[in-house]
Amino acid sequence: MSARRILLVDDEPHVLRVLRLALEREGYVVATAGDGHAALASMAEQLPDVLISDIQMDGMDGRTLCPLARATYPDHPFLILVMTSMTALDERAWARALANTEFLEKPLSPRQLVARLSRHFAALASTPGHPPEPVHAA
Amino acid sequence: MKLNRIGIILIACALAAITLVVALLVVRQQDSQAAQVRIKGVGLVKSLSTVPMALLTDNGKSGGLLAALLAYHDNGDFAYATIGDASGRTLAEVAGRGSMTPTVALPAGAANGFGERTLPASDGAGALREFYGPLGDRSMGTLFVRVGFNQPGYTVLAQDVSFLAVLALAMFLVVPVVYLVIKREMRPLAALSTQLRTLAAPTRRDDGDSGDMRELIANMQTYLTQAGARIAQLEQGALNTTADNRLLQYGSKKLNAALQSLPDGLLMLDPAGDVTFASGKIEPLLGIPMDRIVGQPVDSWCCDPALRGLLARYSGDVRDTARSHAVGFAPTNVEGRQLHASAQPLSGGHGTMSFGTLVVVRDVTREHLARQAGNDFVAHVSHELKSPLNVIGMYAEMLADSDEESLRVESLNVIQDEIERMNALVGNLLNVSKLETGSMSPERNRVRLDDLLRDAYDQALPRAEGKQLRVLLDLPRELEAVAIDKDLFRIALNNLLTNAIKYNRPGGSVTLAARNEDNEIVISVRDTGIGIAPADQGRIFDKFYRVSESDAPVKRGGHGLGLYLAAQIVELHHGRVVLDSEPGVGSTFSIHLKIVSAPAGAAVL
Repeated sequence: MSARRILLVDDEPHVLRVLRLALEREGYVVATAGDGHAALASMAEQLPDVLISDIQMDGMDGRTLCPLARATYPDHPFLILVMTSMTALDERAWARALANTEFLEKPLSPRQLVARLSRHFAALASTPGHPPEPVHAA
Repeated sequence: MKLNRIGIILIACALAAITLVVALLVVRQQDSQAAQVRIKGVGLVKSLSTVPMALLTDNGKSGGLLAALLAYHDNGDFAYATIGDASGRTLAEVAGRGSMTPTVALPAGAANGFGERTLPASDGAGALREFYGPLGDRSMGTLFVRVGFNQPGYTVLAQDVSFLAVLALAMFLVVPVVYLVIKREMRPLAALSTQLRTLAAPTRRDDGDSGDMRELIANMQTYLTQAGARIAQLEQGALNTTADNRLLQYGSKKLNAALQSLPDGLLMLDPAGDVTFASGKIEPLLGIPMDRIVGQPVDSWCCDPALRGLLARYSGDVRDTARSHAVGFAPTNVEGRQLHASAQPLSGGHGTMSFGTLVVVRDVTREHLARQAGNDFVAHVSHELKSPLNVIGMYAEMLADSDEESLRVESLNVIQDEIERMNALVGNLLNVSKLETGSMSPERNRVRLDDLLRDAYDQALPRAEGKQLRVLLDLPRELEAVAIDKDLFRIALNNLLTNAIKYNRPGGSVTLAARNEDNEIVISVRDTGIGIAPADQGRIFDKFYRVSESDAPVKRGGHGLGLYLAAQIVELHHGRVVLDSEPGVGSTFSIHLKIVSAPAGAAVL
């Protein structure tokens, strides 16, 4: 079984760099994109197991990217995590409408993200109908 | 007017009329009788004159023609008939009762023909009318026949007395009728008189019913005088009223004009909740024609539920007219507008009278947009502040978790950068806020630009060296002094230099230069960076505008305020910022400032 693939989308290079370091250290394969267009291009090459996206981005923003990713790959229900500093409730509504989509509050702690992902993959492994897959050791 | 006086006059008139009529009748009757007597006399004399003497007298025996004549004419007026000579001697005669034959000689010309004469009354006998003529039978000489009639006297009228009495009575009976009619006709006049007296002198107590025509006329005159005065007064009053009306109309028109020219739309509701007035501004505000609003039921024209709800509060049974309410809504018929409608009860006389409700409809689109922009601004700023915080938090965590030396150095550098970025953002935010509230008033002093530019160059040098950039300073030997606010200008200059360093390439250069040009001093900041695409050049000075860097290999932190602030500051100095850029080659920002010739003796700082 190949390593879990994570796609990071953010227009802040520092964020991409820190999260990539943190996730790679956990054994994930990490791809990064500066905005929605780059993310879709990356997805077209290889689909991720988890998509982590910022909302406010120049170019295509997260709000456009996430529904588009869902619509483009309906047979691939990967987890989408949306990073946002917006606390306004109406900013959440659109994400709630999407299946398998959750929020990550900014400021985001890489440690918490790592924990969140390992929980996710553990749950995925124990779910009937899915063959158990090896969880990468910390 | 005294009626009994009229009565007396009437009676007198009636009596006079009766007398006149009777007298006329009598005279007429006398005349007719006299005529009859004459016809009779003349006829008799003529017929007798042809008769032979023998037949007339029958020789002294009774039963001659004269005797027959007497018998025939015994109705009282026949006096006598004689046959005599010219001297008056009588040969034969007959006489009526109580009549004597006067022995008067005939006039001289009697023999020539027939004649007549009046014999005056004498010896207790009345006046006589005598007809005479010569007798045709001349057997006994020249003889004359004479016939005398009693002059018709008043006694002959005795037979008509009853008729005259009936006539007089009939005439007299007309008097009460006329009197009654007059009285009847006079009643309104009397009433008028009383009324006039009351009208003319209401205070004058006039006891006694002594009104007559004179008084009526006097009253009438008094009344007319007073009425004239009243009319003059009323006319004056009417004039005043007209003037007042005009004034009121003027005031009303003025008020209406004021209401119409109010920037807000007005609706007035009557106490029943129907619109009785709508100012002209309502139509463009609501997008509903005026004639559909005024006097029409609210439900028929109001297509905005919020406004309808507001108006409904002031109509119908569930009235809530004592308090004012307000509502904000976007009109259905007008695109992109935001309205604010406030309704308040119209009451006068310390709240005792209610004229209905006044609804003020205000266009709050700008306020709405400003509020929205403010919200956007806050959202944007909080995002801009949170982003570096987010990065700092992540790097701090990495710093704590990592033992790798290179990562620790990187973390510390990034954290420092982000702190600087936040600091610049906060500083610029404060300046923008000051600029926009107008509290930033430049203190313009004549400044030697050399020193200012050298300071800015010195400050930029260490930042540029950290990114392997060269910074060049290119100043002419002599530079005109300009009047600027030193502190503000330094901010503008620093922002331009920061941009030039940030968007540069390793090994590139930043050139700070100044030159005199006609009436201007041009300060330019030239970089050898990535340049700005033509599409972005027009918006580069907009607030919060940042060039998209999605395809840039290295991301640069920015907040979109630096260039905006620089341009605003230069504008505050009546200068302008000119951008000259070529993508991939570099950009040059030039500040053009007007040279102000120095007033004599002005201090140069």
